[in-house]
Amino acid sequence: MKTIKYSVILLLLIAAVLLPVFTDAYFISVAITILTFMTLSLSWDMMLRTGQLSFGTAGFFGLGGYTAVIISADLGVDPYTSIIIGGLVAGSIALVLGIAILKLREIYFAITTLALASVFSVIIRNLHKITGGPSGKIVYQTLFDYDSTKIYWLMLGIALGTIVISELFKRTRIHFAVDSIRADEVVAKSHGVDIFKYLIFVFVVTSMIQGVVGAAYAQQYGFVSPESTFSAHYLLLPISMALVGGIYSTIGPIVGAIILGLSSEYLKLMMPYGHLIIYGVIIVLVVLFIPRGVYGTIRDFISERKHR
Amino acid sequence: MKDLEKSAFWKKNSKLIYLITAIALLALWRPHAILYGIQRGSLYSLIGLPLSLTLGVVGIMNLAHGDFLSLGIYVSYMFFMNLGVDPLLSIVPVTLILFGVGVLVYKLTITKVLKSGHLNQLLLTFGISMILIESLNVIWTSRPRNVYVPYASSSMTIANFTFGTYELLYVLFAFAVLIGFQLFLKKTRLGQATYAVGQNPRGAKIVGINIGFVYLVVFGVSIAILGIVAGVMLPRSSIFPMVGAPYTMRSFCLVAMAGLGNLPGILISGIVLGIGEAIVQSIPGYSGWSDLVFFGVLIAVISIRSMRRLAL
Repeated sequence: MKTIKYSVILLLLIAAVLLPVFTDAYFISVAITILTFMTLSLSWDMMLRTGQLSFGTAGFFGLGGYTAVIISADLGVDPYTSIIIGGLVAGSIALVLGIAILKLREIYFAITTLALASVFSVIIRNLHKITGGPSGKIVYQTLFDYDSTKIYWLMLGIALGTIVISELFKRTRIHFAVDSIRADEVVAKSHGVDIFKYLIFVFVVTSMIQGVVGAAYAQQYGFVSPESTFSAHYLLLPISMALVGGIYSTIGPIVGAIILGLSSEYLKLMMPYGHLIIYGVIIVLVVLFIPRGVYGTIRDFISERKHR
Repeated sequence: MKDLEKSAFWKKNSKLIYLITAIALLALWRPHAILYGIQRGSLYSLIGLPLSLTLGVVGIMNLAHGDFLSLGIYVSYMFFMNLGVDPLLSIVPVTLILFGVGVLVYKLTITKVLKSGHLNQLLLTFGISMILIESLNVIWTSRPRNVYVPYASSSMTIANFTFGTYELLYVLFAFAVLIGFQLFLKKTRLGQATYAVGQNPRGAKIVGINIGFVYLVVFGVSIAILGIVAGVMLPRSSIFPMVGAPYTMRSFCLVAMAGLGNLPGILISGIVLGIGEAIVQSIPGYSGWSDLVFFGVLIAVISIRSMRRLAL
């Protein structure tokens, strides 16, 4: 059984790596978008596993993007280093903020993080000299000169790295701490789990991932602006993907990202303006009717049959 | 005996008196900023009061609160453009329409997540908020619109001090809604039931209160109040799909400042926040930073509360 599982994973991995060889440029660009949102979705879910709902995804995504573009446009840092620095900056800001806001729980934490994207964009809009203000900033030397195959491999690498981190979180000691915090914080605390330390750790790691994705995304286009970079897309889509796939798992967000990513291409053709309504409707319907998502429902169904 | 009463009065209201003195002193320094801040703060509390009621009684944080306000403003705009109804008069039909929308949303969605934890509730209202914003975007496009009524730009001069009088309506309405809420909660049977549900839902259920009905009314009314805000705001603000969205955060900030179930506190914190924003805005070169005041206040309130080890 285990060998089958590993060989399936290996086959999928080879297929993912070799994808650009078989397909055309349009499909590669779709795949890049899917990978970007898959990584965001996974990082959102990793924070959710601690029981804290974070709406900060778009904020840290934008922060990473801005950092990368600013340092490569003004300081001449090469794109690859700038992506890493983008992640580090997002992570260190998450650390400082986390110390203040991770003392909060439930709705208070969620709502404070919901404010983050708008707070960051207000700050950036007002620092004209560094960030270019409301009109945004351009870097002329883009990543790989628009070579979509190489960008695909980069995004695939980031996504695979995130999947590995997510699995590490599921399989190491962190998993026990995180799950016990989610299940019952008081019990976790009385068993000696340092709740605050683990929450900060997970928050910083997930924010770093979001920063790296944002930096890579901004470097592809060489352009950032307060409206587009901190757009609610980067919050709405990852959340709906994770919900559709199934939360609290690694496979769920991946499945959700592939389902919604492919169907969104079709939706965009069908209704060019209103397709974001569908994501809102999806979130509402999933919360009301299938709160465990597609993967979660199937998994529970299978395990129920086994036990019968 | 009289002295005792006097000192009790002083003890009870000392904080408020300090606040009023501080505002009066600030008013000598920057009169325009203070007046503007009070007007704007009243608007915030007008929007924050219904949110506080839903959060306190139903226990649901409605992330779509501001977007229902946007919807109300657009409905009011339609009344003005198609039927020529004055924005202030359109308050009546818009309030009724929004009450209907609130009841519908409650019946279709909220009632199903009441027992399923804060995560699902937040995600649900987040989804509703996105649906509202994007629908407004599709129906009315993102082009900003404006409404002109002559009385909205009226002003008044007292001894070289000129100020807009229309915004004083915000203050009036904020007090009216606050007093209305207080009377409703204290004097009516349904209000007493609401109070009981807010304190202890299970206990309320045991003594025979129909909790579902109370929730329905509170949610419906809290959306309906936004109809009043919509009518009052329409003449003085440009209208676009995201017009109400920033108010969700500010309303929540007010609730965090005042504490749950403290309705007069909402008005006071609203005015404090409004004045804070107006003062930042009046500093030349830094006016753009005023949008951050509420976040700074939120973080400060949270840190103070957690230092005092008060459970938020």
